[in-house]
Amino acid sequence: MQDKKILEVNHLSKKFGNNEILKDINGTVKSGEVICVIGPSGAGKSTFLRCLNLLEKPTAGEVKFEGTDLTNVDEKQLINLRERMGMVFQSFNLFPNMTVIENLKLAPIRVKHMKDDEAQKVAMHLLDRVGLAEKANAYPSSLSGGQQQRVAIARALAMNPEVMLFDEPTSALDPEMVGEVLEVMNELAKEGMTMVVVTHEMGFAKEVADEVWFMADGYILERNKPVELFDNPQNERAKDFIGKIIQNV
Amino acid sequence: MKKNFKAIIQIILMAAAMFALTVVSTNHVSAADTSLQRVKQRGELIMVTSPDYPPYEFQVNKHGKDQIVGMDIDVAKKVAKDLHVKLVIKSMNFDSLLVAIQTGKADMAIGGINPTAARRQSVDFSKIYYTGGQSFLINSSDVNKYKSVKNLKGAKIGAQTGTLQYGLAKKRIPNASVKGMDKSTDLVLALKTHKIDALGIEKPSAEAYVKNDPSLKMIPSGYSLNKNETGAAIAFKKGSTSLVNAVNKSIDQIKAKDLTSQYLADAGKYMKVNTVNTSMFHYWKYFAKGVEYTILISIVSTFFGVLIGVVLALMRFSKQKWLRGLAISYTEFIRGTPLMVQVLFVYFGIGVVVNIPALISGMIAVSLNSGAYVAEIIRGGINSVAKGQTEAAESLGLSKGDLMRFVILPQAFKNIWPALGNEFISLIKESSIVSIIGVTDLIYQLNIVRADTYRGVMPIFVAMLLYFIMTFALTRVLNHFEGKMKHAG
Ligand SMILES: Nc1ncnc2c1ncn2[C@@H]1O[C@H](COP(=O)(O)OP(=O)(O)OP(=O)(O)O)[C@@H](O)[C@H]1O
Ligand SMILES: [Mg+2]
Repeated sequence: MQDKKILEVNHLSKKFGNNEILKDINGTVKSGEVICVIGPSGAGKSTFLRCLNLLEKPTAGEVKFEGTDLTNVDEKQLINLRERMGMVFQSFNLFPNMTVIENLKLAPIRVKHMKDDEAQKVAMHLLDRVGLAEKANAYPSSLSGGQQQRVAIARALAMNPEVMLFDEPTSALDPEMVGEVLEVMNELAKEGMTMVVVTHEMGFAKEVADEVWFMADGYILERNKPVELFDNPQNERAKDFIGKIIQNV
Repeated sequence: MKKNFKAIIQIILMAAAMFALTVVSTNHVSAADTSLQRVKQRGELIMVTSPDYPPYEFQVNKHGKDQIVGMDIDVAKKVAKDLHVKLVIKSMNFDSLLVAIQTGKADMAIGGINPTAARRQSVDFSKIYYTGGQSFLINSSDVNKYKSVKNLKGAKIGAQTGTLQYGLAKKRIPNASVKGMDKSTDLVLALKTHKIDALGIEKPSAEAYVKNDPSLKMIPSGYSLNKNETGAAIAFKKGSTSLVNAVNKSIDQIKAKDLTSQYLADAGKYMKVNTVNTSMFHYWKYFAKGVEYTILISIVSTFFGVLIGVVLALMRFSKQKWLRGLAISYTEFIRGTPLMVQVLFVYFGIGVVVNIPALISGMIAVSLNSGAYVAEIIRGGINSVAKGQTEAAESLGLSKGDLMRFVILPQAFKNIWPALGNEFISLIKESSIVSIIGVTDLIYQLNIVRADTYRGVMPIFVAMLLYFIMTFALTRVLNHFEGKMKHAG
């Protein structure tokens, strides 16, 4: 079971006009694996992540989710498959017109056709898990950044996804709030959630990642166990980049 | 006497004529004149008039009921009686009278209309039933200064724009500077406030003013004029010979018995009754009716405006190119043409195909107009919602419809609430334009009261106050909701 491929990317390329951001990306994410993606700004990390649930349509190549090529399905099927992949954004993207609990319940009710009381139960359970049960009826604008991001994680989990995609979930946060979000992600990883995380939090990567992928120039230039890649990078670009982030810390 | 067409009316006329042509050409032009036959079959003679011109036609409150009375109305009544049919009176702006008969909204137009050569080209006229003659109104304080027309040399003279009086003052009073205005009530006010020295006006009208206002005096014009161009006649759609001939028989009798003298005397009686109490409070029912219609039009048009606006805005975001194109063309066209033209077009233009009552026409035009503006506001609101919201909703598997309904539109409406509020407020104000097709909104009623009381300023002030109360109340309501929405996130 541990070997089941959740995501498989083959020769993925993405152009914006004539600007080829992703050139030839290949990779596999197995069930229960945690992959961290690092790389310089503008390398195409966000674009890659968004290609995984087809928020961005690849120009060429395959993105297989549990064996189904997402680039080849119609809108309806895509929506069905998407609900099984959770996504967490750098800027939280909570719905400001709804309370926290409403944010969590919307998709289960509208997409999964869950009954209101059932959705309520699921949502409260998840809020409890991220430590925010008492904020259920608050509006997002009254929460701190760290709290908002934890709600966003809970909202994605409410759909009971098979894989979670994180795009720099802590980089918009004040430093003192980074810990509380990483802690939630850490627990999630330990419970066996399959995760693809774009992050520059080396400590987190070292602790939970099975593999770190270094991305630059439209390719994955190096992939390895976190300790190996951070302490002894082979690729020149990777060396350079890791040197810089260690300096910044 | 009164105005010629304005350019705008001519545009509408052309559009209406085009409509009429397409309709008529499919039915083949029938040369037979059925004008009289139709009136008799219907049992009703429909006339249009502009009841703001005492003593020809004006509105009074008789036994608690609004009525249009005056010499012209008595003439029309006699005509209807001779034809053994019922008289139905429709009222609208003077500008619109001839368009109304050309587009079949009425059988005849009466309203002190001069059968000028230019007008004879577009409509048929009856024989002249009354020749009033020309005069000038002056302030009583000036009686010694302006003893006769000769003294008016070099004076400032006012007259209704586009009227005979206007042209005559220009041509025949040496060195006079002639100032044109739209409404005779405005002109009288200009005279009383000494913005003009004299006012060129029909004799019966002048007499009516002098009778009711001791601060005014009349001097005869002394013009020698061609009777054909100064008399009043009834206008008909071109080709209504049978109806014109029948009406002329009544006019022959009117002239033989000099009935117009009697009619004028009767009109004068109404005016006496009518001007005893010119306090605005006495006219509260007029204003109340105006407010009622203005509010009715505003509410209905706001509702349909928002409905149309939402549909158009969603069309702008459609995947179908033609839907987007349609929405863009509609919005651009509506925003590129004046509401006044749209109101006239719906009433007269569309009216050629289906006869829509004035009130409904007004509501349709204002709704269609508002819809275009609301659509632009909503579109801006949808664009103002952060892109991340769409991505978050899509990543959760929400459908496009749910995305709009639960995520985008609620946020968009919150963002655009102030802009929408402004649109609703300007709708209340701009709906006033429907008065030109005779919808009894506040502006229309205001003009009736002004013509009725010979008081120029006070009714305007009351109407201004009423408009302000309406818009202010709406502002408070909108602010209340804005506050509520702020609270929610
Ligand atoms: N919708 C788009 N249209 C055109 N260009 C785009 C679009 N989205 C991204 N790009 C370009 O693609 C490149 C990669 O963007 P991307 O956001 O994937 O980089 P990133 O690795 O996530 O960088 P960062 O670390 O700054 O988030 C950038 O140069 C960006 O300008
Ligand atoms: Mg990025």
